[in-house]
Amino acid sequence: MNRAMLSLMKKDFKGITANRRLFSAILIVPLVLTVFLPSLFIVLIHFAPDDPDFQSLAGMLPQSLQGGSLEMTIAGLVLNYIMPLFFLMIPIMTASVMAASSFVGEKERRTLETLLYSPLSLKQIFRAKVAASFLLSMLVSFLSFFAMLVVVEAELFFLAGGLLLPGASWAAILLLVSPAISLIAVTLIVRRSAKAQSVEESQQGAVFLIVPVILLVTGQFSGVLLVSVWLLLGIGAVCALLAWLLLKSAMGKFTYEMLLK
Amino acid sequence: MLAIALEELTKTYPGGKQAVRQVSLSLEEGEVFGFLGPNGAGKTTTVKLLTGMLRPSAGSCRVFGLDPAAEPEKVHALSGVVTEHAQMYDNLSGMQNLCFYASLFGIPEAEGKRRAAALLRQLDLEEAGERKLGAYSTGMRQKLSLARAMLPGPKVLFLDEPTSGLDPESTQAVNRMIQETAQEMGTTVFLCTHQLRYAQEICTRYGLLEEGRLLAFGTLDGLRASVLPGATLHICAEGMPDGLMARQTGKRTYEMSVNTEEEVPAVVRRIVEAGGAVYSVALKHPSLEDIYFALTGKKEENGHEPCDAVAHEKGF
Repeated sequence: MNRAMLSLMKKDFKGITANRRLFSAILIVPLVLTVFLPSLFIVLIHFAPDDPDFQSLAGMLPQSLQGGSLEMTIAGLVLNYIMPLFFLMIPIMTASVMAASSFVGEKERRTLETLLYSPLSLKQIFRAKVAASFLLSMLVSFLSFFAMLVVVEAELFFLAGGLLLPGASWAAILLLVSPAISLIAVTLIVRRSAKAQSVEESQQGAVFLIVPVILLVTGQFSGVLLVSVWLLLGIGAVCALLAWLLLKSAMGKFTYEMLLK
Repeated sequence: MLAIALEELTKTYPGGKQAVRQVSLSLEEGEVFGFLGPNGAGKTTTVKLLTGMLRPSAGSCRVFGLDPAAEPEKVHALSGVVTEHAQMYDNLSGMQNLCFYASLFGIPEAEGKRRAAALLRQLDLEEAGERKLGAYSTGMRQKLSLARAMLPGPKVLFLDEPTSGLDPESTQAVNRMIQETAQEMGTTVFLCTHQLRYAQEICTRYGLLEEGRLLAFGTLDGLRASVLPGATLHICAEGMPDGLMARQTGKRTYEMSVNTEEEVPAVVRRIVEAGGAVYSVALKHPSLEDIYFALTGKKEENGHEPCDAVAHEKGF
């Protein structure tokens, strides 16, 4: 990564933060998923009437998942089994917005051609832009995770009088699944960006990534599937492999002629 | 080493449109070359071929010995490009834009700022430098694009209609800057324009293009000699003697064709010796515009390419 590539990445970051519409799009989803949604769950759990059926259902859970009180047990399930899946939407969404803006956005604003006249090769431009989108996505993911942790712990402390530790599933999500899924989203957008004429058109490529996430969330909620750490690690490994393959094939695909069409 | 060399360069687009047809020419370092022709003649396509944005369908081109199709980034490191579609970032100020492009060319931050400030001053954009590009007028944007292209101190400048949208004052400033850059820094300028009069002011050699074909190539004198030899003598006189092949255009004004300026004293002498009074005499050589229309006119009349001979004779 040379200085020119770093300054291209810096410019892309600045482009996103300076654009109020894009920046708010990047902020709203994490805020809803990491602040609003967990708060809603915690408040609902706290004010839900004590149902003996529900208590006996919670009693059937393995000992490791029992959290002292019923409220803490359910909050633990929500934090460590439901929220990680919702959380996957954040890297997909952030990476999509950033990649679409930095590739097709440049095309739309007619700044791509100027960039192509620089001494950076197409591969270097591609790498810098993928890296910028990936890094922003990771930054937003980590910040969202810490924001969620602060909000959830504070709410639990005041409402239930205790604290909850995030489970191992969060490590798998943050360190493997999120990065891999971000890269897939970025690469899919970038691959489409050669032909796409608008930001919206290019984002369609990453939309279907949301589908498996929704299936996982539904499976988890309905009890059809229990997304364990091992399953997350497996999904993460497959996604990382797929991201690497997609990235490699996309790198050699571009020509100036194709991009300027 | 030749700065730019085109050999039988041809570009056919996927739809079958032949934008550039077997164009051959070569330019020395430090030349200001005017690549002239109407819109759609193939000028922009040629610039894109020379900068590696397009690959030739046949033939080849070289920029300082480099093949743009094979090593585009090396060609870009030597060149500055201004085209209508190469815009800059609206969310950055003029200064920030220039500093960003300087960093892409590997220019250290402080040096980039210094060069950017100097160029902004030269192009009368000093005050606008801190303003966001979104607030710039078309002319200001065009001038900033020129500053961007000149920023890395390129060995070759590809300028596609650099003065479109500029007022006469700005056009003059830009012209001066292009000429100074070529003279002082030895930069080769490949200037595409359809404004023939503007080109005549600053170019040292010309290539006239129509429908992708190079009609003529050479210096203005060379083109005059090949296409429209001779000149028109404009005379304001009274008592014009009979037998002088002059056409009357006004009460006291006449014009006649002469082959060389050596004929002028003899014409004046004849009028005076016949008892006439000469008020003014002006010898007008054909302009680029005259040459261009003569070339395209001839082509229509004869239905063949009269200027291939000119192109070959003068260019290669």
